[in-house]
Amino acid sequence: MDYQFPQQLFPSFYNCGPPDSVLKHCAGRWGGYDRVRPQGGSGPLSNWTFTSRHQVRGEAWCHTEPVPVPLLSPKHSYPWPSKPPDPLDFTEHMQNFFTDHFNDAFGCMSDILGENFNFKEGKKERYRRDSVKMQRVKHFLEKLKFKICHQSYSSRVLDSYSSLLSDVVHSIPPELLGSLLYEELTEQRDRLLFSEGATGGALSFIPFSQSGIGGSQHGCLLYPGNQGLDCLNFHRVELQHQRGTPSVLETSSRDPFSFQLKGPIRQISSTSLFNTCCVAVRSDRLCGVWRFSERDEPRLLQVVNTSEVATCISVSPHILGEVLVASESRAVNLWTVGKGMQKVREEDSNLYFNAKSSWRWCEFSAHPRVMLYADRTGVELTDIRVSPVSGHTLFRISNASECQSGERLILSRYLGDAHPFHHLITTQYSAYIMDERFPCVPMLKFDHMMQSPPMFCHILPGSASPRSRTTKVLLGSHISQEITLLQYSGGRAEACSSRGPAQALLRPRDSLKHLPVQIPHRLDTATDRLSSPAAGLTCIQKKGGEECICILQLTEAGDIFYQILEPDQPDATAGDDPTLRETKTTTAEQLVPDSQVVMSNDEDIIGPTQAPTVLRFVAETPEREQPVGIVCSDSEDSASERKGRRLKQLRLQVVVNDDPEPDHESGSDTGVKDGKVGGDEAQEEAAGVGSSERQTEVKLSDGALITWKHWLQKLMQKSRDKKPRPRCSQHFTTDTKDLLHLSDGEARDSTDEDRVRSLRRDLRACMSKRSLLVHGSVSASVRAADVEPLPNPVDTEAWRDQLSHRLTLSWQGEEVWRAWWEEHLGLNKDTKVEALRRKRRRQKEAKRAAGRRLELSGSFTSSVSYQSDLDNLSDSTGWSSTASQGMWSDAEGSGPLSRLEGYLEHGTPRPTTPSTVQKDTPVTTPAATPQRVKDKPGDQQTSRTPVKLDSTPASQRRSKRPAGDDLSYLFATQDEPSQRNFYYPEDESSVQPPPPPSTSSQLPSSQPVRLKNLSVDLSQDSFVRSGFSQSQSSQGRRGLSQASQAKKKKSRMGF
Amino acid sequence: MDDLERELGPPEDLEDDNYSSEDTSSKGGRKSKLPLVNHMCVETQRETGFHQSARTCLELIREAMLHHRWQEAAEYMACYPQMLEDLTNGIRHEYKELIWRLSTEILHHHPNSKLEDYNNIYERMKHSGVKHYLMISLEHSFHLLLHSHIEDAKRQLSAAESWRYGKESAAQYQKTKLIQAYRSLLDYIIWCDKKSTHSNSDYHNSGDNQEMHNYFRQASVNLREILKNPGVWDPFIVSYVEMLEFYEDHTEALKVLNDYAYDNSFPPNPNAHVYLYQYLKRHDTSERKLMKVLKMLHVLVPSHELMLEYSSLLLQSERKGDLQKALGVVLEMLDFACWRSNLDVWMRLKAIIQKLQLQEDWKEVILREMAGRKDWWPALHFTSFHASKDSEENPELMKVKASLTKIVCPDLNLKYTAAGVTSGEWT
Repeated sequence: MDYQFPQQLFPSFYNCGPPDSVLKHCAGRWGGYDRVRPQGGSGPLSNWTFTSRHQVRGEAWCHTEPVPVPLLSPKHSYPWPSKPPDPLDFTEHMQNFFTDHFNDAFGCMSDILGENFNFKEGKKERYRRDSVKMQRVKHFLEKLKFKICHQSYSSRVLDSYSSLLSDVVHSIPPELLGSLLYEELTEQRDRLLFSEGATGGALSFIPFSQSGIGGSQHGCLLYPGNQGLDCLNFHRVELQHQRGTPSVLETSSRDPFSFQLKGPIRQISSTSLFNTCCVAVRSDRLCGVWRFSERDEPRLLQVVNTSEVATCISVSPHILGEVLVASESRAVNLWTVGKGMQKVREEDSNLYFNAKSSWRWCEFSAHPRVMLYADRTGVELTDIRVSPVSGHTLFRISNASECQSGERLILSRYLGDAHPFHHLITTQYSAYIMDERFPCVPMLKFDHMMQSPPMFCHILPGSASPRSRTTKVLLGSHISQEITLLQYSGGRAEACSSRGPAQALLRPRDSLKHLPVQIPHRLDTATDRLSSPAAGLTCIQKKGGEECICILQLTEAGDIFYQILEPDQPDATAGDDPTLRETKTTTAEQLVPDSQVVMSNDEDIIGPTQAPTVLRFVAETPEREQPVGIVCSDSEDSASERKGRRLKQLRLQVVVNDDPEPDHESGSDTGVKDGKVGGDEAQEEAAGVGSSERQTEVKLSDGALITWKHWLQKLMQKSRDKKPRPRCSQHFTTDTKDLLHLSDGEARDSTDEDRVRSLRRDLRACMSKRSLLVHGSVSASVRAADVEPLPNPVDTEAWRDQLSHRLTLSWQGEEVWRAWWEEHLGLNKDTKVEALRRKRRRQKEAKRAAGRRLELSGSFTSSVSYQSDLDNLSDSTGWSSTASQGMWSDAEGSGPLSRLEGYLEHGTPRPTTPSTVQKDTPVTTPAATPQRVKDKPGDQQTSRTPVKLDSTPASQRRSKRPAGDDLSYLFATQDEPSQRNFYYPEDESSVQPPPPPSTSSQLPSSQPVRLKNLSVDLSQDSFVRSGFSQSQSSQGRRGLSQASQAKKKKSRMGF
Repeated sequence: MDDLERELGPPEDLEDDNYSSEDTSSKGGRKSKLPLVNHMCVETQRETGFHQSARTCLELIREAMLHHRWQEAAEYMACYPQMLEDLTNGIRHEYKELIWRLSTEILHHHPNSKLEDYNNIYERMKHSGVKHYLMISLEHSFHLLLHSHIEDAKRQLSAAESWRYGKESAAQYQKTKLIQAYRSLLDYIIWCDKKSTHSNSDYHNSGDNQEMHNYFRQASVNLREILKNPGVWDPFIVSYVEMLEFYEDHTEALKVLNDYAYDNSFPPNPNAHVYLYQYLKRHDTSERKLMKVLKMLHVLVPSHELMLEYSSLLLQSERKGDLQKALGVVLEMLDFACWRSNLDVWMRLKAIIQKLQLQEDWKEVILREMAGRKDWWPALHFTSFHASKDSEENPELMKVKASLTKIVCPDLNLKYTAAGVTSGEWT
């Protein structure tokens, strides 16, 4: 019985006065019961029951999809800033204005001043004789198009001109323009943060009465279309919902019936009485009323023009053709369509305190001649029959309704469908249910917990069926797109009570994370589009049969998204449901390949949304699609059943893997939980009723995924052609073509190009192999041309020393070289061996005795070697390459000079010193690079062979013995200068022009070696010996020495 | 410590400051600016890593709770009470209340929550700080009441009643009063219990009687007290009046009810008049007085269901103007959507008009009453759509209405006839 008033209300204090409380936490009224009252008790204690104003549990409604689904394909829309503009950016905007609209900015003065300046080169006759030449300034101005440093690029002439003329050239004084821009930006920012014009919402649904019994609900959806939201569309839609099949909202294939308006649609208000519907539309200064029914096409009845910006329009739910219009003129008019306007109420100031707001709102109430007049401070009920009009308070921002300080009224809505006397009033913190029979005291207060104030609302009256008995209030906010579902019951015989906590519904801007990953720039476009502020909210409620709620949300970009909620069914048997769903998914997946093909046919541009079957993980595709294929091909029942079971297992696995984010992991399948959390938690979860289980992540259905994929594809197509103009993004580049001119002619260039091309090819090959582009491969293409012409041939007569002689001989062939050695060494081989042994003994003693001194010398030599490195870099680098070859050579770190010095200093060869020095050298020499090169097998091959080639002849020539490995090593170390130099061009490129293999390599190194040979002739053998032993030991200990490198270095440093 | 507290104080204050400064900078404040919602989730200056992670945790809990993912919220909640151990800026009361609210709400939705869990959290949070003691005590007793632990609830309330701390703030005062009132309500319930056993055994035991009377005295003190405060006290006044009636203290009962109905500092509660009317009716007061009460109620709620009784009283009244009043009352009832298709009201209207027609100036009277209605009543009641609807759903109503059309709206050509269904026109 609608006329009943609750027999007992919940107790509460009635505090007059302004609100003073401040909410200090973000939990709202969670956890509280908000008063209780005894309910129908009498007599003995056990008969008494209590009921609370806030009841813990509401009806559980859950989503059918984890994301809202777009209803229409995306249309063009203006790229609007997703972030509110910063008013302090006005200088940037001014700059844009000056560059984009220079004619407007400087037009007048440039006409006057123009003839005094000559910007053109040459033609002088057209200008006055005394005109100023401005060519240089023009050049400079052209540079300003680029991003340059304004400090370094300045023109003195221009500076002086600007100081001379800066206060006259502007058509609009910059101070004025700046302040106006600042103001405009501030206002834009405010409007974006809180756009009061959008209050009420421009989306409406009118159900057709005869439908709703079967599986679908028909109706007409009213929404603004076009880029500027200035086209009113009447579009038939059908909500298909049956449990077991995916529920969808479908628009009719017929084009919507549309009317072009003269401004963006801000609010659509509609009522339907006896199958006839009356629609009032508000844009900024125009209000229009349409009439239509299920059979009749929409017909415009009347349009009125308001002098001030209209803030509210509201059609009467009692009498068709009566409309209330409020505007910023602070007046509310009753507009009887066809008969004219009648001013109902006007207030110059705000109702209860000065809120500095000219926003007004109006609604009808339970009585056709009593209306609500609202502003930011409160609501009054006004009887329009009596004049002068006077109102009595229905609601005010005050302590009586436990408001908070700073709270303002955002929206008021007559809830006639749900309860003839109830009104919903929202503020930025709370939503109030007011009963107009008991004004001032809210029947109910919800904390909606939304981030931005709720500006749209839709009411779903409770139906008789047990599943949806509560009245549902849907609140939508503007900029943050939030939708919150509140439930309450009562208001007739029983007092109102809220049911369950507020439930946040899905937002379009959150949906991308549930969809397959997009490429970054598409992601940006899609994110921008999806996060445009909401502009309206409506609902389709399907009663009877399988109930469901479809919530539609309009964004300012003109997109409509819908999400479907269905009542939670705790009685659904857990064992049965998955299998049902399983078969469903298999069929869906069977369908997928086709649809995929279709899509790739008509739009093959878009790749990122992969196969629709892939939910989020591409890696899953093969495993998942394979069994599906088998299921498809398999006709046998048992087999398919088995496969189905396997598929289910796979599915479950997918579920497990499909939970990368912690916020999805909770409350997922019990199986998963059991694995993850131990003990109590798992038990609790397992024991949990179906409700908590069902509220978990819902899987995105394939249909929705395909819709989304299409939508995103279309969006990309639409948004491709209109990118905002890149502003000053080019950097100023100096043209270097004339500055650096290559002297060589065309031929050179072509070879260069070839080389570059081959280098690119190599680079690409390396990239495809995911390998590094190492020097070896580069050198093949690049270095080949860098070979210097041979230097003059060596005059062998000029070099009379032993080594030179030997080397000269070696060019004549191995036999000659060997013969020389036979003659020179072969006879006294035994004594040589003896001497070598002696040397070795002495060397050990020296090592023992020298101790620190050796290290000192080591440090000395190392520093010297560093010096020599600088002098003769090729040496040291060559060294490192030898070292990398597996013989950290004994003479490491000491160039020929230093070695010589060492000899001179000690008088004795110091075979051990290098071993200590050796550890230091990596610090001084760039030894690491060749080492790395060596890791590549191919490179190793190429880099080693020349060394071998080089060393073998030396060893052969030098040793009297049959050439052994030892000797070859030995001579390799002995002859390292040449070897080094030979190695050099292969490895370390750019430092020096690489000398030709042997002869030229002689040049830098021959001198010290010769000196060495001369001065320490005696020790030569021992030197060889020492080198031999050293190389051996270093070979054996290489790893060790490398390992101890750091330690040694430390000791040295300590020293 | 103090400035830290201020620093980390409610962000709304800061927001307000911003708001006012912004307001002065903008032009003339033509547009309203709203202090936007802000929470603890807002980053504060001088924040340690702990605060940051706690804030993130809170955001996650909030998000999960808003989306009704209780399990997830519970998992995060397991970590959040660490916030209480944060001593860098003193333990803020908001955090205690926050933790209490969050954990209670999560418990509400936990499938296996037990009363012990609730008791645990209520007791702990109650004693964690003095500021919330009364509020949490009250909520605790509500919880017990809802789960039919009336004695436990009474114990809780009695404990809270005797609790004293510092100087009383206004909110604290109200909480105290409310606790006392609820305790008295439970006294009343025990009194009812005693009364029913009493009447069942119909053996008058003076001891029992005395005990009952004690409960009455205990209850009446606090109930009388709370009724002095402006507010909505429907359950309290009903029980108080019942006890007073039992002990036949009619003057007190009438005084209480009259104060409740006519005190201007009280909100205009229709129930206050209803209780008074019912009391008067129970005690066979004169019709004049009843009508006086109903007249007040009519001013407040012209659509109240008692208006049917009011109109019948007026109809039976002998005074001259009353019939016209009755007509006004009934017509006003019919303005409201909820009465429009109610047969009783239409029948009453018919009865009134029939009686009115005995007077010679009946046409003027009706015209006067209908003057303000004649341009919208037809659309409200007498369209062809109404006709078709009424003939389908309630033919009797259709008959009554049809007979009245000519009388109520004499000079209008109405389509409220069964035949009028065919023309699809709305006026």
